[in-house]
Amino acid sequence: MSFREKSAWISMLSMLAIYGFYFWSVIHAGPQVGGFHFGGLLETIIALVVVQTVLTVAVAIFTPREAKAPRDEREKLIELKAMRVAYSGLATSVALACFFGAFDPPIVFNTNALLFILVTAEILRSACQIVQYRRGA
Amino acid sequence: MGAIRNEIRRLRFEHGEMTQQELAEKIGVTRQTVNAIELGKYSPSLEAAFRISSVFGQPLESVFHYSKDQ
Repeated sequence: MSFREKSAWISMLSMLAIYGFYFWSVIHAGPQVGGFHFGGLLETIIALVVVQTVLTVAVAIFTPREAKAPRDEREKLIELKAMRVAYSGLATSVALACFFGAFDPPIVFNTNALLFILVTAEILRSACQIVQYRRGA
Repeated sequence: MGAIRNEIRRLRFEHGEMTQQELAEKIGVTRQTVNAIELGKYSPSLEAAFRISSVFGQPLESVFHYSKDQ
């Protein structure tokens, strides 16, 4: 498994776990709490940065040459393809959020829905990269 | 749809059992990319194809073949 594929796995799994916990907390807190859980989000982002940095550095220690090497043409192509899929998902989801936003949802739903869309698009991007790396494409 | 086939595996063998890693370093890609090219899962850019041919000292058409029937 290449360094880039390992990085994609780290990105996907850490986002699934950490943002999964964040959204689980938001759902369980309920809309009656009010406001946007900024403190919770800040902790989530810090946790994500720390986990991803530590794991990526750990992987880079074992494969220093690959980690230092720039992306080759196939890796760039895989990233572009994954970005295209994620962007399509993002654009569609934002359009749907705008449509449903017209029904005047509470602000906590609206902001977290947009965050959820962003996170899902990022997870989709990493997942697409992994699929292509697995296929060897 | 056509397919691009190649003789990289044979040429590596004929060049002192050159490893995929050695070839990858010579042409500036990862070993996984060389493996994908060799297995026909990834078609390299024209530049990378020329670099591969140059490593083996062969013309491009001796390393890569295009067949329409697949």
